[in-house]
Amino acid sequence: MERESQSERESALAIIVEQREDASAIRLEGAIDIGLAAELKRTLLDALKADKTVLVALDANADLDVTAIQLLWAAGREAKASGVEIRLDGEVPAAVSVGLKEAGFERFPVPVQAGRCKR
Amino acid sequence: MQKVMHRANAASAEQFKQSFREEAREVLVDLEAALLELNENRADMELVGRVFRALHTIKGSGSMFGFEQLAAFTHNLETAFDLVRNGRLQIGSELIDLTLAALDQIRAMLEEGAGTPAADPAACAEILAKVRQLAGMPLSEASGPEVSAPPNVKDAADVTDAGAGDGQACEWQLRFAPGPEMMLNGANPLLLLKELRQLGGLSVRASMAAVPPIGELDPERCYVTWDMVLATPAGRDAIRDVFIFVADSCELTIEPETSAAQGASQAGREAADVIARALEEPRAGSGGRRSYDKADHATSLRVPAAKLDQFVDLVGELVTVQARLSELAARSDDPDVAVVSEEIERLTSSLRESSMNIRMLPIRATFEKFRRLVHDLARDLGKDVELTMEGADTELDKTVIDQLSDPLMHLIRNSMDHGIESAATRAARGKRPTAAIHLSARHSGASVLIGVSDDGGGIDKEAVRNRAIEKGIVAADAALTESETFALIFRPGFSTAKTVTDVSGRGVGMDVVRQRVDALRGSIDVASKAGQGTQVLLRLPLTLAIIDGLLVAVGDAFFVLPLANTLECIELTREDIERANGKQVASVRGMLIPYIGLRRHFGMRSAPPAIEQIMVVETGEGRYGFVVDQVLGNCQTVIKNLGRFYRHVQVVSGATILGNGTVALILDPERLAQEAVRVTLERSRGRPAANARRK
Repeated sequence: MERESQSERESALAIIVEQREDASAIRLEGAIDIGLAAELKRTLLDALKADKTVLVALDANADLDVTAIQLLWAAGREAKASGVEIRLDGEVPAAVSVGLKEAGFERFPVPVQAGRCKR
Repeated sequence: MQKVMHRANAASAEQFKQSFREEAREVLVDLEAALLELNENRADMELVGRVFRALHTIKGSGSMFGFEQLAAFTHNLETAFDLVRNGRLQIGSELIDLTLAALDQIRAMLEEGAGTPAADPAACAEILAKVRQLAGMPLSEASGPEVSAPPNVKDAADVTDAGAGDGQACEWQLRFAPGPEMMLNGANPLLLLKELRQLGGLSVRASMAAVPPIGELDPERCYVTWDMVLATPAGRDAIRDVFIFVADSCELTIEPETSAAQGASQAGREAADVIARALEEPRAGSGGRRSYDKADHATSLRVPAAKLDQFVDLVGELVTVQARLSELAARSDDPDVAVVSEEIERLTSSLRESSMNIRMLPIRATFEKFRRLVHDLARDLGKDVELTMEGADTELDKTVIDQLSDPLMHLIRNSMDHGIESAATRAARGKRPTAAIHLSARHSGASVLIGVSDDGGGIDKEAVRNRAIEKGIVAADAALTESETFALIFRPGFSTAKTVTDVSGRGVGMDVVRQRVDALRGSIDVASKAGQGTQVLLRLPLTLAIIDGLLVAVGDAFFVLPLANTLECIELTREDIERANGKQVASVRGMLIPYIGLRRHFGMRSAPPAIEQIMVVETGEGRYGFVVDQVLGNCQTVIKNLGRFYRHVQVVSGATILGNGTVALILDPERLAQEAVRVTLERSRGRPAANARRK
């Protein structure tokens, strides 16, 4: 279901949720910052309640600020406590990887399959 | 597929930028002052440090708030002053002038889009080229801000272990915990870390210990804290400056690395385990860090001037309504109503006083900015001029201060160009080579006196008079007093300058001074001695909004006299009038005080009572009496503008609405006295009182 206006399309900042058969797939595009933090929280909470598997994917141009990092980290902890699997679907873009390292985070806030970080 | 989209709120982003602009304006004022002081004391390394830190702050914070062009431009200047700081570049007037010129461009970049002229790319490129040449930096990058690399962009390789510099680096332990409001104020902690890396090698460890469960997490708050070790030759102040714009909304500790803390330097190695360990760490309560639940220790806050004006307007309305309530209570027999009315009157009075105090600002900032003007003009005119100040902490209403800049600027330009002589003339006259311009401010009753004086050649009275005759302003045989002669220089288009320069000589500046001072209901007094200098004294009201007044009645009309000017009230009987033999003077304890009958002055036809009242008022012209029928008492008066139609009625400074709904005119005792003097002089010279129609 597309509900995207022209100006929103131009902004290329988005949280896209795809409801799969047995999982929620959340794709993050563009700068995911404080302006989207409330939406990201709601999306993650909905997904954690609805499914046993939550997949998070990052677009190549994705850029996470600290609000997004701590939300993903808190979602990871919530998932672990409630027996939900949350993991990164795809690769961590190189820019995100460097950004995390610069900010003192040594790995992506939700589990990543081995070898899925671009360096 | 469901798509959920949001965009960062553009209005919020602009609000953050505005907040940065406001802070940066203050930093630029300090930078300018430091540069001008440095010009006088070039060996003062503290001043060099102050300049460096200001540039560093503007660069870093500019980058953080999206002013990349400004940040890139400032980066080159910062580098030059870093070289000065390290003794590798000598400070000289060229670098100071270039930095001052750069500062103007930074200001333009800062205000771009706000209806002000944009920065000039050619001028920016020229400044940068010269700065880089002076500093011995490669010239290839000096092509202006639009192509310079943003200072915060560094290769990833630099990030992990950038070299600490020249071997004199120290290690600092930092702990940085953003407060609840920090991100909402537009600050981004990750950009601060990037900025910190500019100072040296940085090991960072993020802690998630305070992040609450996702359900309780406030998504717009940063719960992450950082422990860092920074190896840098920079001092504690320079490190703290990175956080200058978030100082009120974060917890920051900066300690020199000690042997006991050596373990912390392994932070980088331990970082890999941080998140895993954090999973096991106890959380500091469901709301996150408790330290931010404590009281806010901020001692000041920034409020937009428009909000303050609205607040004062509302207080003004409240004062008017309260006056009506007092009137109703006075007519009521109910003692409870009287008690409540008195209480409201007391509170309104306190509220009015507090609201007016909020608007009072010291004039220092306005005075300080003229240091730059004097510096630039002195250089352009080839004169050596020193600016001194007195009473810069004198406070006056923000509205008055806002309108004072232009008149002061014109007075200073005029002094610099026409008043102060060339070095050769000064030497010939035996004057000290450095000329002086002195700015002063002091309170005088309900007014503030602002003085601009110089030790130049003084005003040539004969030249002024001849020019006025030439332009047909006065008759060739006119007998003018000294003050009338000096008043001519404020006429539109009047100038005695033989040549028009960039600085003055078109006869516009002094006219602007008069217009602005008139608009502020102020007055100008000029004193000048040939060969010794000139003093221009501006007398301005302390406030333009609400005043304490005395309500008086003449016939069926009401007037308000400002209480601060009013000294006493005495009776005037028929016998007193007869004893004075037609002279309008009253004897008060042996002192003769001239008085003005308001009934006669305003052409009112009602008959006066047997006993009238003289309100004795202090004015710039001396003590004067204003004769009224009755003194009704004190009143807090909200000054309402009479509008454009009545703008020429100068003896009335506004109007106010009384408790019973009638309008009272607020008299301007200064203007009334001046007009009385003028009318008397004209009568004594046998001329008709030309401006009687203006009443």
